[in-house]
Amino acid sequence: MNPYISYLKLKIKTGLQYRAAAIAGISTQFFFGMMYVLIYLAFYESNTSSAPMPLKELISYTWLVQAFLSLVYLWTLDKELISSIKDGNIAYELCRPQDLYYMWLSRILGDRVAKVLLRFPLVIIVCALLPFPYKLDLRIGLINLLVFLIALILSTILATVLILLFHIICLYTLDEKGIVNMFMVISEVLSGLTIPIPFFPKYLQHISNILPFRYITDFPFRFYVGNIPLNEGIISIGIQIIWIFVLIKVGRLLLKKALKKVVVQGG
Amino acid sequence: MKLYFKYFKIHFKSCMQYKASFILSFLSQILVFFTYYYTILCLFDKFSNINGFTLYEVLFTFSIIQFGSSFCDSFFRGLDQFDHLIVRGAFDKLLLRPRNILLQSICEEVNFIKLSKVIQSIIVLVIAIIKIDVTWNISKVLTVIFMLISSILIFFGLLVLAATYCFYTVKGLEVRNVFTCGCRDMAEYPIGVFKKGVIFFLTYIIPFGLVNYYPLLYILGKSNNKFYMYSPLFSSLYLIPCILLFYKGLKRYSSTGS
Repeated sequence: MNPYISYLKLKIKTGLQYRAAAIAGISTQFFFGMMYVLIYLAFYESNTSSAPMPLKELISYTWLVQAFLSLVYLWTLDKELISSIKDGNIAYELCRPQDLYYMWLSRILGDRVAKVLLRFPLVIIVCALLPFPYKLDLRIGLINLLVFLIALILSTILATVLILLFHIICLYTLDEKGIVNMFMVISEVLSGLTIPIPFFPKYLQHISNILPFRYITDFPFRFYVGNIPLNEGIISIGIQIIWIFVLIKVGRLLLKKALKKVVVQGG
Repeated sequence: MKLYFKYFKIHFKSCMQYKASFILSFLSQILVFFTYYYTILCLFDKFSNINGFTLYEVLFTFSIIQFGSSFCDSFFRGLDQFDHLIVRGAFDKLLLRPRNILLQSICEEVNFIKLSKVIQSIIVLVIAIIKIDVTWNISKVLTVIFMLISSILIFFGLLVLAATYCFYTVKGLEVRNVFTCGCRDMAEYPIGVFKKGVIFFLTYIIPFGLVNYYPLLYILGKSNNKFYMYSPLFSSLYLIPCILLFYKGLKRYSSTGS
């Protein structure tokens, strides 16, 4: 079997063992989701006319983000990977006959998929059962559902590729705080994780439309709740694919350069 | 106090050994902080008010809460890392010394990077105060000072409470982090805008509301109740049971032995 796929499977199986952590994660997601919902409700109570998104869609969006958070959040680094860079264990990985880039990619991807498999069903079910204003509205057409699933899978890959890029930058800086942290913060905000893009000021909306980040969170979930029409959704899927290829290219290039002059830290 | 400053100096010196890393982390913290109120700015860009409160009034309550939270994060960091102390067994070392145990735990670590948040929350506070539509007098200025102090005290109390929790569970702090962080994030808004259950919770169970919401009503003149001016002081009483519980937990403490 393809070594990368077996690597991915291995990671998913390991990840599925952490059930207690998943329960803690689910309660976190509920709590924060509820908090955002309450804040939005308070805003919409006073004035609805100027809202860029209907309340119902915004609340569904919030819950979807919480349910699939493990797939789309960007503020994360694989601690083992980082410490292997810092303490020199990366030398072992370089000895293996597999391509380092795809090895790391399947590793991060597996981790995220395992996490979301444990968490999303419960969050979705409970949120769909909540009473009216707090409720997650699951109704969607069949074609839209299919497009959404494709978009979600692509956005997962896009997020993973981006996170891998952060790790590769760490190879240069040897420090996971500072610059890398700044990158992560900016990309997370521009991806629409804190608040969907239509709420951004106009000029920032233009900027984020050019950048890849909004195709990770903002696009798939806003499409699901019906805020993005079908034809625009299909075009956006094309853009997602382009960004994935571009970022893989950049990541591999940077990795190759970094490995040329890699100084293995310690022994 | 003298002891604390001595520790403070030591931590500062050790931090300054890595200047470049320190400066970069400091800058990145500024960005992180910005994302906190980015949501607020975005929402107010689209809506003019939240149940009658304007942007600057929200920034006022926001910065009061952030000030206390980040102040404790940077200066009382040792308590935040209390589970490390216990897991490593380093707490036994502290118990052997003839000084106040709480003070020693606090001194274990000072985080200068988080100081950037303290500075920023003060800046936001000043902006909010300038822009807010209020005629200031002595009692209102006093109220602001009460708010700042009580904000520090209430977060200090919560930290002590979390540390006490470590005596019983050794580890597993995540859940309480969710709890306090979530409540803190809500209390960044004037709590009056929320539903009744939330208001009750943030007034009586974790009294964030006493720190920023009720005094704000007084300052804005939305309420003439004199009690609201002193309500931050009452919230400080929260600290007493927290500290008592800490010492009770201390008696129960048995070393992890590592």
